[in-house]
Amino acid sequence: MMTAQLSYDAKKKSVLFLLAAAVVVWIIVDAATGGDEHWARVGVRLPLLLTGSGDGWPVTGGFILNVLLSIASMAVATALGTIMGIATLAQRAVIRLPAFLVMNFLRNSPWLVLLFAMLYIIPYEIRVFGMVIPFPPFMKAVIGLALPTAANFSEVIRGAVQSIHSGQWEAARSLGYSTRQIYMHVILPQAFRRMIPGWMNLYALLMIATALATVTGIQDVLTILNTSLAMESERALVYFYLTVLFMFFAYCYPIAVFARRLERAVKGDNI
Amino acid sequence: MTHPEALIEIKDIHKSFGKFNVLNGIDLTVRKGEAVCIIGPSGSGKSTILRCMNGLMPIDRGTIRVGQHQVHSLKTEKAMRPLRHQVAMVFQQYNLFPHKTALENVMMAPIQVLGHDRAEVEDRARKLLDKVRLGHKADSYPGQLSGGQQQRVAIARALAMQPDVILFDEVTAALDPETVKDVLFNIRELVEEGLTCVLVTHEMGFAREVSHHVCFTDHGKIVEDAPPAEFFANPRDPRTREFLGQVL
Ligand SMILES: Nc1ncnc2c1ncn2[C@@H]1O[C@H](COP(=O)(O)OP(=O)(O)O)[C@@H](O)[C@H]1O
Ligand SMILES: [Mg+2]
Repeated sequence: MMTAQLSYDAKKKSVLFLLAAAVVVWIIVDAATGGDEHWARVGVRLPLLLTGSGDGWPVTGGFILNVLLSIASMAVATALGTIMGIATLAQRAVIRLPAFLVMNFLRNSPWLVLLFAMLYIIPYEIRVFGMVIPFPPFMKAVIGLALPTAANFSEVIRGAVQSIHSGQWEAARSLGYSTRQIYMHVILPQAFRRMIPGWMNLYALLMIATALATVTGIQDVLTILNTSLAMESERALVYFYLTVLFMFFAYCYPIAVFARRLERAVKGDNI
Repeated sequence: MTHPEALIEIKDIHKSFGKFNVLNGIDLTVRKGEAVCIIGPSGSGKSTILRCMNGLMPIDRGTIRVGQHQVHSLKTEKAMRPLRHQVAMVFQQYNLFPHKTALENVMMAPIQVLGHDRAEVEDRARKLLDKVRLGHKADSYPGQLSGGQQQRVAIARALAMQPDVILFDEVTAALDPETVKDVLFNIRELVEEGLTCVLVTHEMGFAREVSHHVCFTDHGKIVEDAPPAEFFANPRDPRTREFLGQVL
């Protein structure tokens, strides 16, 4: 009777609360029956997981490296995706069609395969005019993750631009605006608002995908789990993995929630 | 027959979307300072005629002259722009820019398209907002205005371009009855000041009082074109008679 009268939101909240409570109860019970010893190991090694150094300083890897990797990839992906998105909207087919091809290819490639491909395609260093530009694994990971993210972002841009009512184009054209001016002054300022939620969702996905970058050999949190902590007992490793899962969750979930809230706010001012 | 003072001359234009012929030979002349109303059933091609006049839509055949512009020979968007500085358009759905205030909506194009001086444009824009009696709403966003108010801002935006002609496409069709008369009041004022106007409308009373001649479109043709007194009192074409019989 009571639940029938609760709103969907209230129901969702109570389910989430029950789940969280169940997890807490499980942790307490488990700790009381011997788990505390494993949690203690996790506590001791936490600085290593977070920073890649046992003392927590200097930062050489760990979860913070995942965060840095995600930020660097997102920066590259945003720039690349903007170019790709605009190219797929171009009037001239010689620009639009290749952009479409590349975008769809990247969007439909498994991220892990792209990462491996970058590992082998990009050389260790490039010589330009006698200068040697090295390509460390971190750079390869940045590019490998940025490519599919860029392709997805370009689709976000395209969707936002195409969601602008055609009357806006008509009005601007009838006022004598050029196509470039219409994008600059009319379409992009409106589309920009509608892109932000998609961009944030994409960032949360990218952050999760940084775990894949362990294949490039960088000292990210997963590499550290697999190497430095290999001597921990098998039982303790379960606790370590749970901890890492929680780190990703704690970082990404608020972003996703915030994005969803923005999305709802933006939907309100559609015309 | 040429009219030296004819501002718009449309001769035998045809337009089709795929197999569907929207315009089947339209002829229309609008002289400087005239108000011409186009009425006709929905889907008969009224909006298409207006869109062809300012090059929003290319035509398949025929000629359109607006001022010194041969519209049918303008092939690129770029070539259309000088034409569009002279021909403004007001739409049924207002199409204001929702991310800009009313004042900014009016000021944008003269500054960004015509390159006019900002201070001078702001002065002009405020006067135009006063003219449509919305001076007090200058800083409101379109979303904060009623339909009628948005449409009056759209009229001010069109006027800010200092055009030779304004095309009105069913500008009161989406409005509440009470606000319709405010918008019509503003348009009537423009006509009385001698601005050339082409109006697609369903407001028969307005068409009768304001226009210099009235055209009736049916299936992509203008089947009747007469001064309003004659048009409403003695329609010659049976299709006009039938239509007027339904709406009056
Ligand atoms: N861009 C377009 N593509 C295909 N058909 C169109 C397009 N624009 C208009 N039409 C069709 O042309 C016909 C005439 O349209 P329109 O000029 O808008 O009529 P009216 O304004 O008299 O109601 C309609 O049947 C409409 O469906
Ligand atoms: Mg129409």
